[in-house]
Amino acid sequence: MIRFIVSRLARAVMTIFLVMTFSFIVLRLSGDPALIIMSPDAPPEAIAAFRKSWGLDDPIWLQYFHYFAAVLEGEMGRSMRDGRPALQIVGERIPTTLLLTLPALLLKVSIGIPSGVYAALHRNSRIDRLVMSFAVFGFTVPSFVLALVLVLVFSVWLGWLPTSGADSWRHAILPVVTLGLGGAAVLARFTRSAMLEILGQPYIRTASAKGLAWSAVVRAHALPNAAIPTITVLGFMVGSLLAGAVVVESVFAWPGVGRLLVVAVSNRDLAVVQVILLLVALTMVAANFMVDLAYGIFDPRIKQAAPGGAK
Amino acid sequence: MLIHRRKVLIGGASTFVAPCFAIAQSDSRPSITIAVQKVATSNTLEPLREVSNVGQRTFSLFLESLLDLDWIGTMGMKPMLAQSVRRIDFKTLELKLRDNVRMHNGDVMSVEDVAFSFGKERMWSGAPLAPGAYVNNNSGLATKTPPMEVPQIAQSSFPGFEKIEIIDRNTIRFVNKVPDLALEGRLTRFTGAIVSQRAFNDSPNWMDWARRTIGTGPYRIADYKPDNMLLLEAHDDYWGGRPPIKQIRLVETPEISTRVNGLLSGDFDFACDLPPDQIPTVEKSTKYHVVGGKITNIRMISFDKTHSVLQDPRVRQAMTWSVDRQGIVDALWAGRTSVPRGMQLEFFGDMYLSDWQSTGYDLAKAKALLKEAGYKGDPISYQLLNNYYTAQVPTAQILVEGWKEIGLNVEIEMKENWSQVLEPTPRRGLCDGSVSAWFPDPSASSAAFAPGAQNWMTKQWQNDDGAAAVLALQTGTDLAQRRAAFRRTLEIVEIQDPGYIVLHQNGTFTGTRKDFKWKPAGSFVMDMRSYNWA
Repeated sequence: MIRFIVSRLARAVMTIFLVMTFSFIVLRLSGDPALIIMSPDAPPEAIAAFRKSWGLDDPIWLQYFHYFAAVLEGEMGRSMRDGRPALQIVGERIPTTLLLTLPALLLKVSIGIPSGVYAALHRNSRIDRLVMSFAVFGFTVPSFVLALVLVLVFSVWLGWLPTSGADSWRHAILPVVTLGLGGAAVLARFTRSAMLEILGQPYIRTASAKGLAWSAVVRAHALPNAAIPTITVLGFMVGSLLAGAVVVESVFAWPGVGRLLVVAVSNRDLAVVQVILLLVALTMVAANFMVDLAYGIFDPRIKQAAPGGAK
Repeated sequence: MLIHRRKVLIGGASTFVAPCFAIAQSDSRPSITIAVQKVATSNTLEPLREVSNVGQRTFSLFLESLLDLDWIGTMGMKPMLAQSVRRIDFKTLELKLRDNVRMHNGDVMSVEDVAFSFGKERMWSGAPLAPGAYVNNNSGLATKTPPMEVPQIAQSSFPGFEKIEIIDRNTIRFVNKVPDLALEGRLTRFTGAIVSQRAFNDSPNWMDWARRTIGTGPYRIADYKPDNMLLLEAHDDYWGGRPPIKQIRLVETPEISTRVNGLLSGDFDFACDLPPDQIPTVEKSTKYHVVGGKITNIRMISFDKTHSVLQDPRVRQAMTWSVDRQGIVDALWAGRTSVPRGMQLEFFGDMYLSDWQSTGYDLAKAKALLKEAGYKGDPISYQLLNNYYTAQVPTAQILVEGWKEIGLNVEIEMKENWSQVLEPTPRRGLCDGSVSAWFPDPSASSAAFAPGAQNWMTKQWQNDDGAAAVLALQTGTDLAQRRAAFRRTLEIVEIQDPGYIVLHQNGTFTGTRKDFKWKPAGSFVMDMRSYNWA
C-alpha cells in the first residue's frame, strides 16, 4: 500500500511540474502581459516600464529560473494586474466556486445515478427512452446555450430568478441547474451502460436462479460491479470542482475561480494562472487517488492486483 | 486651445447652482445597478495606472479634475475644481480653486492637495520591482512608491510639466517647461484628478491607495471587488449638491447577452457597451431603450509600412480609397455614428479643419494607384482580434471584400491578443486601432503618430516630416500656424504617406430604463450628477 501511495505521489508531483512548466512556456510565449494588462492605449514608455518592472524583459530561461526558485521556496507570486498575492486572489474565489459546484455535483449524482439505474432496469421502456432522450439532450447541448435558455425563460420571461451575479442563494439556482443537468445526463448514460453490461453477466443469472429476490440481486451483485465506470466519471467531476465551471461562471457573471482563470489567462497573469492550475492539478490528482482507493473497495480484485496489494 | 474666463464663470454658475437646493430632501434616492464589461482593466482605481476607455467611465463617477468638458452638452470646456482659469503666458495657467470643496474623507480640498496631485510622490516617481517580481512577495509592492509605469503615464498626459506654484490659499499656477496651448485641455484629463494628500499618506501602500482613491466627485468608493464589482455611495457633502443616487453598483458582466437579459429582466438599470446589433432586442421592450452614440474616439486601420508590399505608399493610398466607410456605418452601426473628416473631431473647435478633404470611396482611383504601383498580387496579412472593438470582425470582412474588388490579396490572420498583433514579423501588415481625443485639441489625437507613440515605437509608421508637423502643432502658439501644422500632419499621415485608414467615429451604446431622464455623454463618461438626473 505504501509503495502504491508513494508511486502515485511521485507521478502527481511529475504531473504538476509538467503542467506548470508547460503553462509557463505557453503563457510567456503567446503574449506580452505588459501590452495586454496596460492596454494598447497606454503610452509605450509606460508599457516598457511595466515590462521592466515585472522582469518581463529578462530572457525567458531566467524568468523560468526565478519562477521555479520562488515556487520551491513556497512563494506563489503576485498578480501582475494588481500586485496582490496570487494565492490570496485564488483563495478568495474558491468558496464562491464551491457554492456552485458542490450543489451541482449533488444534483448530478442524485439525478444521474438513479435515473441511469432505473433506465437500465426498465430497458426499452418508455421511461428508459425518456431518460436517454434527456441524457442525449444534456450531453449535446452546450452549457452556455442551456444557460441562456434558462435565463430567457426563468429570468426574462417569468421574472422568477436573477440573471447573473452572486448576491444571494437565488443567484445560484440557474448556474447550479445548468451545471447539474449536463453532468446528470453524463452520469445517467454511463450508469445505464454499466448496469446493462453487468445485468447481462452469468453471475447475475446465477444469483437469480438461486432464488435471490431481484432487488437483492441488483443491490448486492449488480450495483457494486456497475459502480466502477460511474466512479471513474464521478472522479473527473470531483476533480473539476474548482475549475469546471468556466463557461457557466462567465455567462452568469459568477465571480469564481473559473472566471478568474479566463481573465488571468487572457491577461497572461502568470502567477494567478499557475496557482489555479496547481490547485486544479492537486484536486484532480486527489480525486484520482480517491477513485483508485474506491476501486479497491468495490472490486477487491483490483486491490489484490495492485503493486503491494494483498496476495 | 484658449479658454475664456468669462465663459468658464458663466458655465460654472449655471451648472452648479441649482443642485444645491436638493440638500434638505429626505433620503428617498434610488440605488442603481450598472452592468459593465469591465470596471477597470488593471484592477486599480487610480487614473495614473488605469489607462483605458472603461476607466474613463468609472473615474467620472468619483474623481474630478480642475477643469472638465461639458460631456452631455456642448463638449466645451467647463470649470470643475478650478472655478476660473487665466493664461499668464504660453507656458503658465493660473487657476482659482473652488471654495469649500469637501473630499470623500471629509477634508476640505486645499492648494496643497492640488500640488500633491501633480507632485513627485504621486505622479513623478516610480520604483522598479525586484527581479522576477511576479513571484517575489518582497518585490517593493508594499511601499508607497507608485509602479514604474505611473510617471510614464503622467509624462504622456502632461508633457512638459514643470511645477505647480502655490500663489495663495485659493490660487495655484500650473507651469509648463514649453509653450502649450492645449494645457487647459490636458487639465480635463482624469490623470489630473485632484486627490487627498492625507488619504494617500494614510494608506499603508500604493496598491491600497489605488483601490481606495479619495477625491472630490459626487460618489465615493464604498467597496471594490476586483473583476467583480465596484460599489459607490453618494458623497453627500459634494460641492455641486447632494448626488441624486444613493448607491451605484457597477457589476462586471462580460457576456453581452447577460447584460441585455439582466436589463430586460430588471436586474440592471443600465447595461453598457451594447453592440449595435443588440439595439433592436432592447428597443422591442416598452420599458427600456438604448441611448448613446458617437464618442470622441476614431476607429482606424494601421499600416505597417515596413511590410514588403505596403512600403509603396501607392498601395496604401489605394487601400484607403477602396473602403466604403459609409457602408460600414450603415450596415454595422445602424447609421448611429458617422465618418469624420479625417482624424479630427468637430469638438476641436477653432482647430477643426472643416474644409479638410480626406480620402473617400473611389474604386477607379484605387485601381489606378494599384496599377501604378505595379502590384503583383502578393499577400498582405491583416492581424485581427476577435471583436476587441465593436463589430471588428464584420468590419474586417467588409474591408477585405472592398480590397478584393480592386485586386488586392489581403489575408486575415486571427490573433488572440495585442502582443501577437504587434509582434514584429515580416508578415505584420494591417491591424485595427482607435485614437481617442481626450481633450478638444488635435494635439490629443495627432500624438498617436508622433515619435514615442505606439505606431512609431513598433516601427509600423515613422515619418520625420510628420513628426516635425506634430511637434509644430504641439508647441505652436499662434492659431493660424497651429492650424497649418495640423493640416500638414493630416496631409502626410492620411494622403502622402498613409499611416492609417480612418474608418468612422466610434460609438458607445447604453441600454437603460425609459423613465430615467439621463443623458449619455459624448464619451465613455457617465455623468450621474443632479443636473443629469430628473
